[in-house]
Parts: sequence; structure tokens; C-alpha cells
Amino acid sequence: MNIARKLTTIPYNVRKTFYRKFKISSINSDTVEATQPKVQEEKFDFEDLKVFERTERRSAKIDPFMKEVFVSKFNRDLLAYPEILTKDEDEALENRISFLKKSFSNANSTKEERKNTLRRASMYAATVNLTKNGLAANYTELLRYLEIIGADLELGQAISEHWVGVTALSQGLSADDYTDIIDEIVSGDDTISICIKERMSDRLTQPDFRTTAEIDEKGIWRIHGEKIHINKTGYILVLAITDGSKLKALLVRPGAEGISYKDNFVTFSNTPALELNMANEAILSQTLGTNRLHTATLCRTSLQQATQACLEYIRPRFINGKPLSELSTIRSTIGEAILYIYASESAEYFTAGLLDGFMDPDAELEMAMCRNFISHHGQRVLLKLLAIPGVEKQKDCLRLLENMRSLTLRGENVEEVNMFIALHGAHHATKSMAEEIKKIRNPFFNPTFVFKKMITNRHQDKDDPKLDLYLSEHLHPSLKPPSESLEYCVKRMRFVTEIIMSRHGLEVASAYTELNRLAEAATEILVCTAVLARASRSYCIGLRNAANEMKLAACYVEMTKNRVKTLLSEIIDGEYLNLDHFRVQFGRKYLDTNESLTEKPTARVFW
Amino acid sequence: MATNIFRSFLRPRIKTSFFKRYESSEKRVAIHDPFSNKPEKNKESYLQVIKFFEGRDQRRRGHVEFIYAALGRMKEFGVNNDLEAYKALVDVLPKGKLVPTNIFQAEFLHYPKHQQCAVDLLEQMENNGVMPDIEMEQMLLNTFGRRGIPLRKYWRMMYWMPKFKNLSPWYLPDKMPDDTLELAKLAIQRITSVDPDTNINLWQTEEIEVALDKTWIVSGQSRIQKLLLAEQPIEEPLVIKGPYYVYLRDQSVTYFTLLGKIRPEPKDDIDWDDVSKIEKPSGIPGFIGKTTLPSIKCTVHEQDDGTILAICATGTSSRDSLLSWIRLLEKHDNPLLANIPVIFTLLAPPSDVSLQETQPALQEEDNIERAG
Repeated sequence: MNIARKLTTIPYNVRKTFYRKFKISSINSDTVEATQPKVQEEKFDFEDLKVFERTERRSAKIDPFMKEVFVSKFNRDLLAYPEILTKDEDEALENRISFLKKSFSNANSTKEERKNTLRRASMYAATVNLTKNGLAANYTELLRYLEIIGADLELGQAISEHWVGVTALSQGLSADDYTDIIDEIVSGDDTISICIKERMSDRLTQPDFRTTAEIDEKGIWRIHGEKIHINKTGYILVLAITDGSKLKALLVRPGAEGISYKDNFVTFSNTPALELNMANEAILSQTLGTNRLHTATLCRTSLQQATQACLEYIRPRFINGKPLSELSTIRSTIGEAILYIYASESAEYFTAGLLDGFMDPDAELEMAMCRNFISHHGQRVLLKLLAIPGVEKQKDCLRLLENMRSLTLRGENVEEVNMFIALHGAHHATKSMAEEIKKIRNPFFNPTFVFKKMITNRHQDKDDPKLDLYLSEHLHPSLKPPSESLEYCVKRMRFVTEIIMSRHGLEVASAYTELNRLAEAATEILVCTAVLARASRSYCIGLRNAANEMKLAACYVEMTKNRVKTLLSEIIDGEYLNLDHFRVQFGRKYLDTNESLTEKPTARVFW
Repeated sequence: MATNIFRSFLRPRIKTSFFKRYESSEKRVAIHDPFSNKPEKNKESYLQVIKFFEGRDQRRRGHVEFIYAALGRMKEFGVNNDLEAYKALVDVLPKGKLVPTNIFQAEFLHYPKHQQCAVDLLEQMENNGVMPDIEMEQMLLNTFGRRGIPLRKYWRMMYWMPKFKNLSPWYLPDKMPDDTLELAKLAIQRITSVDPDTNINLWQTEEIEVALDKTWIVSGQSRIQKLLLAEQPIEEPLVIKGPYYVYLRDQSVTYFTLLGKIRPEPKDDIDWDDVSKIEKPSGIPGFIGKTTLPSIKCTVHEQDDGTILAICATGTSSRDSLLSWIRLLEKHDNPLLANIPVIFTLLAPPSDVSLQETQPALQEEDNIERAG
């Protein structure tokens, strides 16, 4: 049957396919970008020529990676896992990390000692330029630092927000303002915390976002409004509306007038603030979005801690005269946790590589995906892990659980991020698909097109897309089966995006349950890509334990393929077959009536 | 329907000499009506009469006629919805005697008159919405055997009646309250169930000094309705419409609505097929929703004939009580009502309400209040 299919379908480029099949040549004209020279930017501070700025080596700009996946386009060059750091940089990084580790791996060190360590390692100035006494750390390095600092969750959260805040200041403030303020900020006495989310609106006509900023007669910006905020000290970077609907970030100094804290909320009334006048919404979204990447790392660190805590519990315990660690269920739970930690780690550094390795990177979707991936799986796996000690270590378990919960809900919840991912993807897809969607939605006006579409989609309809991305060519040969699974997932994405948009049209923005699935599937694709690329790289360069990585990667991708397949086919099936309609109805009825939908099992109609 | 077929099947046979003796036992026979001389017409006396009949004669002669007579008197005694009364009547029929003992009896209507009587009894139960219970099945089985027509009727009833019993999405208790206030509460709850956020208040008109009618008011208003009311244009008067009727089983409740202006319809010139207009979401983490909201018709309270701002039922349904309702609404977080005129357009006013232009009257009221 396969032979018949091969004969009947004529590939678009017979010659190329022939070469590919028989490996006569490795010429691949699609990947010429891979051999493009890297752009090296050497920045100088002309006032003080003794101090050089850090050299950035960036490749030419590429199309946004995951956004393109929504239309089944895959940048195969990225299957070479990004290698950002040079030898010198790596050595410097390792030195700093070993310094940080001394304090953070010591359970007895106090918060103040740890803060001092951070100060001495210039962590509060990690994102600041070398010329301003910073480290000019890139995203990859920040993740490495955060992994260590994340051992103390409170400090980890604070410093990640601080880094994001400092980056926002460097982009939003004028050079003079920035120079004036930066020394004070990087001293580490007061960190910057970000304040965006607001209390849910409790009135129909109340806008969802209500904090406003106005300029007074003295030319000072004044903030009014209420925000969700936990950290009660330090600088606050506040997002507010100006001129009706424009979003602006403003920096509030510690102890500024008009700030009052109550529970998890902070109220600003006529609070003076410094405007980040050069940061428009696009810059803000890119800068503040990196917080999601940091959240992912913190989540992963938290999961790692839980795994470690479990190991410590399991090691000295026995059951039926055998070590507890011999139970296969326990081994499998630990293995699952390792699998997700590995996957998340791959995805985070992959995304950091995208941000560090290319000109004008557009990786906001990838950052959001990293966050959601580990938030979604982390919680689930953590519950399984914590079931091992059961109620024996109640206090530790509750702390770990609370850590994960607070990280999962840090700044936003999983559904909100999923909506962002899916809508962004759909929005990108419309650039190339809008015309087609219009025709599909009006089949009687476009009969020829519809027939053509039916023929083009015939393989997709049978859930057997033609795998013509040849991803395995860019990976180690032993990863061929998992790479084909990934290819299958990527090839399905365009079809599913097309279906979801042709089904809902412009109302796709409110098809929440389906968009959720689409976002989850896309997230898994990113993670699979990162996992395969990392394992392949490790194996090819002969890294220690590379064989384990290959197994982890193959196992993860095979496991995920089914999940993605299910998610995507549930979207294709529609709300009745995937039972969304009914779930939504039950929820709606319950919300509408305020009472139980069913009677008690002991109730009777007649006696 | 089954009963009618059964009757038409039975009727020609009555003329035959075999059934002649039953002719005289049509429903008109009960000459002595034991129910008529009961001074108190209630369930207790009804059951007493039945008990008396059972004890009067060991053979219980004329029991079919008695059952027919008793069925006719049920409403009078207020037991037409009472299962116990029906069961007491079924109990009048002799046990065992009417059960067919061979296939011919089973096939050719053994004791047709008795069977018809039991079917009529069940029919009356069905018409009154009284559902039999398992004990009744046992009683009928003991009386007519499992091949009797009443049993078939019973089984059909027990198939359909439980299905219909709870079909209405608005639950009502088995025994409806006699108090009109409780009924009004139930009615307003039913009407306002469109918005689960609705708050139902019970107010007394005594709270308003100038109120003439001293009565209760059950008022329903949700938070959204309050907001919609607060946003009504001051120059446009609000309208009280009614009375409307809502039926709760066999009882009706009169209610009134306070109507306001509707906001403009949402524009429908969007091309839903053009997906290129999908909005790009903001990438700022934690930033959701919109900074402004469109002021267009979008709630369930905004109907074609106006925005329903509140509804009420009052003890007297009079214009004065409605006026008190407006004042009470004003007192309870609807300050706009102090400034906005309200017009009464009572479609079919109760007898104590005269249909007139009420706007001046309201203004008079205002004057009185201000003077006071």
C-alpha cells in the first residue's frame, strides 16, 4: 500500500526527494542560512575606552520560530541546539555559579548572607552593561544564575523581577535618567518588583484595567489605582493607562507618597512616578515577557527540589524488607519528574538561545510556552511526587506545594498564557491564511477552491500528513523515529489552525477551549524540538551521559506525540465529540442556577 | 385515550341483556349522598365517610356508585390532590373477588363496571397530577389481578407521570403555599432566575411615610440592573408596565416591571469571515482585558421593548403600592429615581386602580415629600 501511495503521489521536486531518499548528496539549499556569518557587535563606551562592552555574536534575523509552526513551517536550522557562550564566558559563568552555590546550597545560610552573596557576585547588576559596573549577562547566563538562586524561592522571584525591571529601565529611560538612577538600583538594597495585574473588575461597565497615570502641573507623573502586589518594599514598576488607552510603565520609588498596602494589594493615590517614556507597548511586552521564562526556570527548580526531597525520603526507608527505592512505581514517578525537568530545561535554554543568538529576536511566544509547559506538568508531577512521603512530611510537602502553586499563578494563570499563545499563533497564521479561510467559509462562492482544498487536505483528513520537512536530516540518525513524530505534529498544526479559524471565523478569539488545546499542542511541539535538538547535540559532541539524553528525548517525544495527536484531533472533532459542549453546558447551568444539577442518590419521585 | 377506547368498546355491550343490570348503575344512582350532610368539608371528614361506608355493610353494596359519587365530591372536600384519599377509595373495592381466574375472564373484561370505575379513578388522579405509589399498585393487583385494565392504566401512568413531574426547570414545592406573599416570592424568584445575581427583597410600604396602602412588596433587582438604572438618561422617563401574570401550578401572581431605555444595538457590520482582523493580544504578562468598554446592548435585561430595571409583586397590586415600590427602590441604592420621572402604564388595572396620566400625580408626590 505504501508503494502504491509513493507511486501515485508525485512529489513537488522529484530530484530533491530522490537525493534525500538515497543519500547521494547532502546538498540542501534550504539551509544556507546556517552557514551565514554571525554578526559580531562590539560596543564601545567612547568616554572610557579602557572598558569594552560585551561582544554579542548574533546570527541574521530569522522568522519567529513557533509562530511559523502554526502554519507548519519549521526552521530546521534550529535543530542545531544554540551554543551561545564562548569558552571564556563559560568559565567566568562557572566561577560565578560556584561562588553562588556555596551560599545557596548551604541550608544554614541566612537570607541576609545570601543577599550579600548576590551583591558580591554583582547579581543585582547582572543585566546592566559592563561600562556601568554590570555583568551584561545574556538570557542564557541569567537562567543559569536563576537556577542556583531559585533554591531560595523568595530571592529567586525577587531577583528575576529585578532583572526584568532593570532591562525595562534601560530601554525605557533616556540615557541620562538611566545613569542617574542605575547605581542606586543595582546596589541591591531595594530591588524592582513588577506590578501589572489588577483586581478583577466587580462592575459591568468597569474597565478590566483601571490604573491611570496623569501628568500634573509640575510635570510629575501621578499614579492612581490599585494593583495586586506582594513585595512591600523596593521599587515598583507599575503599568498604567495614560491618555485614555495608551499603556505606559512608570517607576515608583520606595516609600513614595500615596502608597498603601492591604493584603495582596497595593493602592496608589496620587503617587509620583518616573515615566519610562521610551518604552512603548511592543517593547514592554517583549521585555516584561522574559519574566515568563524566568518563571519557567523557577518552576523547574522547584520541581527539582521536590524530587530531591523525595529522594531523601526514599533512600533510608524500606518496605517488605527491601529498600523503598526498589518499588517500580516510585522509580517511574521519579523518572517522570526527571523527564519533565529535562524537557523544560531544554526548552528554556533553547528559548534563551533564540533570544541571545539572533538579531531582533521574536520569542515572546516561546517564553510563554516554556512557562506554561512546566506550570502545567509541574503541578501534576509534583502531586505524584508528594504522594510518596504521603502525610509523613506534611510541612515540607505543603511548602513545596505552595511554592509550585504560587509560581504557577505568578502574575497570570495558565489559561491566560494559553490564550496569548494561541491567539498570537492564530494572528500570525492569518497573515498567510486569511484569504483561504474566507474562501473556505464561503464554499458556494468558491467551488473550485473547495474541491482543490479537499484534494490537498486528503492526507490530513486521514490523519496521515505527508512528512516532507525531513527533520531527521538535521538530527542524529538514531533520532529518526522521534523526529518523524515531531514532524507529524508540526504538519498537523496548519491543518488544525485552518480548521479552527474556518469553523469560528473572526469569533475564534472566543473559542477558548479549542484555543487552549491548540496552545498546549504548540507548546509540546516547542518542547519536543528543544529536547531532540539538545539530545542530538549532546550525542554528536560526545557529552557525558549523552546516551541517557538520547533515551530521555526519544521517550519524551513518543510520549508527547500521542498527547499532541489527541489534543489536535479533539479540535478537529469539534465541541460535541470532544465533549466540550456538554462540559460548558454543565458549568453554565450550575453558574446560572446556583444549585446542584442533580438530586441526591437517595431522592425518589414516588414511593 | 385508552379509557375512551375502552368505553366505546364497552358501550354497545351495555345494551345487551347480559349487561342490562348495569344500566341502572350509571353515575346518577347515588340517591343517598353521605357526603352532603357533612358540616365540615375537609380531608378528615371525607375519609370518615369512606370508613363509614366500608363498615356499614359487609358486602359493601353499591360501592361502584359510591366511588363515583366520592370522586365527584373530591374538589369540594379539598382532597382532589391527595393521594391518601384516592387510596382510601381504591380500598373500598373488594379484594380477590374481581381477580380473573381463567384466561376467558382475563380476556373478556371480568367485572367491566368495576374495572371502568377504577380506571376513572386513576384518570381523575392523572388529571389532578396526583402520582400513585407502589402501595397503590399492590392494592390494584389485589383487586383486579395483573391482567386487569386498571393495572395497565396504572403502569402507563407510572411510566409517564414521573417523567413529567420534574420537567419544569423551575422547581415548585409539592404543596404550594397558601400565603400570597410566599407565592409572590416564588414567582419573582422564577422570573428573575435569568440573572443568578438577582437580589430579592421583601419590603413593607410602611417604610414610606406617605404610602396609603400598607402592604408588602417583593422586589427583584440584580447588580447589573442597578447599574443599568444608574445609567438611564435623566430626561427620559422610566415606565412601570403591568400587571402581568405568572402561573405557579394553578395559582397566578400579578407582577410589574420597571422599564427603561435600551442602549444602542451592537453594530452588525463585522465581516466574520475576515480573520485577518483578529486582534493581536498584548504580550505583557498579567495584562488582560480591555481598558475601555463599549456601551452597547449586551445584557439579558436589555430586551427589545426596553431595559428591565426591576420587577415586583405587591400585596395589593395598586398604583399606590407601586409608587411606594419606586420610593423603596430609590431608598435602596437607586438614587437616580429621585430625579427621573416614572410613568405608569397599567395595561389592565385592578379594580381599585384608575387609569390616568400618572406623571402629574408623581410630581405631586415629589412635592409632598419635599414639603415634608
